[in-house]
Amino acid sequence: MTVLSPTQIEIQKAAREFVAQNIIPRAAEFDKSGDFHSYLLEAARPSNIFAMAVPKEYGGLGYSPLTQALVLEEWGYGCAAMGTTLSASILSLESVMIAGNDDQKRRFFKPMLSAGIGAFALTEPAAGSDAGAGEATAVKSGDDYILNGPKCWITNGGEAAVLVVFAATDPAQGGRGLSAFIVERGQQGLIMGDREEKLGLRSSNTVFFLLKDARVPAANLLGKEGDGMKIAMMTLDLARPSIGALAVGLAQRCLDECVKHLHQRFPEKSYPGQTLQFKLADMQIQIEGAREAQHHTMALREAGLPFSKESAIAKTLCTDVAMSVASQAMRLMGSHAFTSEFGKFMRDAKVMQIYEGTNQIQRLVIARSVLARPKTAVPAAMKAGAK
Amino acid sequence: MTYPLTQAQSAIAQSAFDFADGYLEPIVISLDHGMLFPKALVAQLGANNFLGLVLPGQSPVAGAGFIGHIELVQALSQSCAGVASIVNSHALFAYALAHWGSEAQKTKYLPALAKGEKLGAVAITENGSGPGLGSDALFATREGSGYRLDGVKPFVRNAGAADVYLVFATIPNVDDGNGLTGFIVESGASGLTVGPRLETMGLRACPVAHLTFSKLFVAETNVMGTANCGSVIANQLLSVGSVAEAAQTVGIARAAVKHAAEYAKHRVQFRHPVARLQAIQTLLAEIATDSHLAWLGVQHAARLIEEEAPFEPEAAMLKNFLARFGSKMLIDAVQIEGGMGVSEVVPKHVSGSFPLARMFRDIAGTTLLDAPADFPDALIAANIA
Repeated sequence: MTVLSPTQIEIQKAAREFVAQNIIPRAAEFDKSGDFHSYLLEAARPSNIFAMAVPKEYGGLGYSPLTQALVLEEWGYGCAAMGTTLSASILSLESVMIAGNDDQKRRFFKPMLSAGIGAFALTEPAAGSDAGAGEATAVKSGDDYILNGPKCWITNGGEAAVLVVFAATDPAQGGRGLSAFIVERGQQGLIMGDREEKLGLRSSNTVFFLLKDARVPAANLLGKEGDGMKIAMMTLDLARPSIGALAVGLAQRCLDECVKHLHQRFPEKSYPGQTLQFKLADMQIQIEGAREAQHHTMALREAGLPFSKESAIAKTLCTDVAMSVASQAMRLMGSHAFTSEFGKFMRDAKVMQIYEGTNQIQRLVIARSVLARPKTAVPAAMKAGAK
Repeated sequence: MTYPLTQAQSAIAQSAFDFADGYLEPIVISLDHGMLFPKALVAQLGANNFLGLVLPGQSPVAGAGFIGHIELVQALSQSCAGVASIVNSHALFAYALAHWGSEAQKTKYLPALAKGEKLGAVAITENGSGPGLGSDALFATREGSGYRLDGVKPFVRNAGAADVYLVFATIPNVDDGNGLTGFIVESGASGLTVGPRLETMGLRACPVAHLTFSKLFVAETNVMGTANCGSVIANQLLSVGSVAEAAQTVGIARAAVKHAAEYAKHRVQFRHPVARLQAIQTLLAEIATDSHLAWLGVQHAARLIEEEAPFEPEAAMLKNFLARFGSKMLIDAVQIEGGMGVSEVVPKHVSGSFPLARMFRDIAGTTLLDAPADFPDALIAANIA
C-alpha cells in the first residue's frame, strides 16, 4: 500500500465519513428511480469537495492526483454513480487545465467553487471508440463559432453548469480538425434530451443533446483550432485512473458486503472452508493489486513522468477487477444478493468497463506500448568504428 | 455439433422456439420492467404440452422426457429466462413427484401439473450454513398422525404463484441420518404465509419470496418418499436443477451472442463494421465456445438423467463451469454493444431492440451458488476416477 501522508489520511477519513453519512444511506433509492442525486451537490457544499481538483489559486482545494484518488475510492465504495458525477466533472476540468487560458479557467471553475459540476462532451452516435468520426461542426462567424451536431452518452450533461464540447472546425481533417469549446448551461441552441435509462450507474446523469446553430463566443475556444483531439486524449489520460479509483472502491465494497453476509451465515464454529476462503483471498489480491496500479499511475503523474500506458492499465485493471469481484460476490452470496441492493454493484461495474474509453480501447493503447520496438542506443565506441 | 434428437424431442424444441417467439418476445420487456408474473401464460404452456415433459406417461409428447425439457428451457430462455425459471421450478416439483411420490400423491397431482392447472414449486435451501442449522430453519415435529412445520424457507421461486410446494424440513433428534424430510404443502394450508415478493435483479417474471410456516400441520400421507430420507431427494433435485439452470444459462448466452454478432456487423467504427476487428471476433468466439461447451455438457447430463444413470458429478461440473463462464459471457456480450449494451430503454435517437442489459441481469440469477460452500467442487473432486 502506498504510504500516505498524515494530511492524506485525514482527507481520506473525512471522505469516508461523508460517504457514510451522505452517500451510502441514499444510494439504493437513487439507483431505483434513476433520478439525478442533486441533493448531493448541496451536501458537499460545506466541504467544497466538487472543487477538489480546482487549483488553490482559483479558490479550489488543489488536491494532488493521489489525494483526489483517495476521495474517489471512498465515493466509489459508497456509490459509483455518485462518484461518477464527481469524477466526470473533474474530467471536464482537466481539459480546461490543459488548454485553457486564465480567463477561461476562472469562468469554468467558478461553478465548481459553489457545488456546481462540469461535463465533457466528446462522444457522438457515429463516434464512440472512433472519436474522430464525429459529425458535430463549428463554423467561424465573426467573433463566434456556430456549433451544430449531436452528442450522446454525455455524463453530467443535463446537470452541468459548464461543458467542454468537441466539434470539427475542419471536418475534412477528421480527428485533426477537431476543436474544443467551453459551452455554458443555458446556451441558446443547446437542446438537451432526456436522461438515458441505464443498466448501472443509474443516478449518474447521462444524456443525448443536440447543438443547433449554437452561437458560442470565440473566446470559448480552448487552445487553437485543431487542438481538440490532442486535448481530448490528454484529458482522458489524466482522468482514466480516477475511474480506476472509483472501481477499486466499488470492488472493496463488494468484498466487504460478501464477508459481512458470510459472517452471518457461518457462525464461528463452522468457519468457511478453503473453497470459500481462497475465493475471498483471490478477491482481495485482485483489489489490492488494482489499487496499487492506480496509485502508481498517480505517483508517476505527480512526479511529472510519462503515465499514458499506466493510466490505461489502471482503468482497465481496476474496472475489470470490479466486474470480476462483483460477480464472484454475487455468486457466493447467492439469492441473498440477487434479491437485495447488491445487484447494483454488479450493474455499476459493467458500465465502468465501457465508459471513458472502453477497456478494448485501453488494450489497444497498452498493446502499442508493449509492442514498441526497443530503441537500441548504439554504443558510442561502435559508432566511432573502434576495434 | 449437437446430440441427435428423437422426433418428439425436436418437435418440442421447434414448438418451444415458436412459442417463445410468438408469446414471450412481445411481452418480455413488460414482464421484466413491471416484475409481472404471467399467470395466463402458465395455462398456455400447459396447453402446449410443455409442463409434463418430466412426467412419465403424462405427456402426450411421448418420450421427450428430460431431454425435451432442456430443449424447452433453452429455447424459452432465449426470449425470456424468467419464464424459464417458472417452468424449471414447476418441473422440479414434477420430477420429484414422478420419482418419489406415492401412488396416491401421483394420482392427485400429476394430471393437473402436466396440464398447467396447478403450478408447483420446490423449497430446499435455508438461511443457515446447511439444513436445520440456521436460527430460522424449518423444523418438522411429530404431531398426531402427521407433522407440525415451523420455520422459514427463504428465496422460494414461484412463491405465491404456486398451488403446491415441496418443502424440506428437518425432523430434530433423528439417530439415523440428518432428519431432512420432504413434505407436500398446498398453497392454501393454514399456517403458511407467503412473504412480500422480493425485488430480483433479473428473471423478474418469476416471483421470489420467503415462506413462513407457523404450526402448519401436514398429514403423514404428504411426506415425499419416506421420513428422514429427504437429503437424498434434495441433493438429487439440486443436481437436476443445476442441469436445467445450465440450459437456461446457455439459452441466454446464445441469444446474447447472436444479438451481439448482429450488432457488430452493423455498428461502424473506424470506417468498417466492428465485426471486422479481431478484438470483437475474439469476444464473440469466446462466448460462442463457452456456450457451446456448456450446451454439450447439458445435453450429456440430460441423457444420463433420462437413462437414470449417475449424473451428479456431471451436473456439478456444469455448475462449476458456468460459475466461471456464465456471467462472463454476458459481461463480454454487453461490452461488444457498449453504450447500447447497457441501455435498459432504447434511447430516443436509436432504433431497434437491445435486450443485453436484461440478459446480463438474468444470467446473474441462473449462475448463483445457492449451495453448501464446498459445492460443486468437493463432489467433482471426490468422483474423479
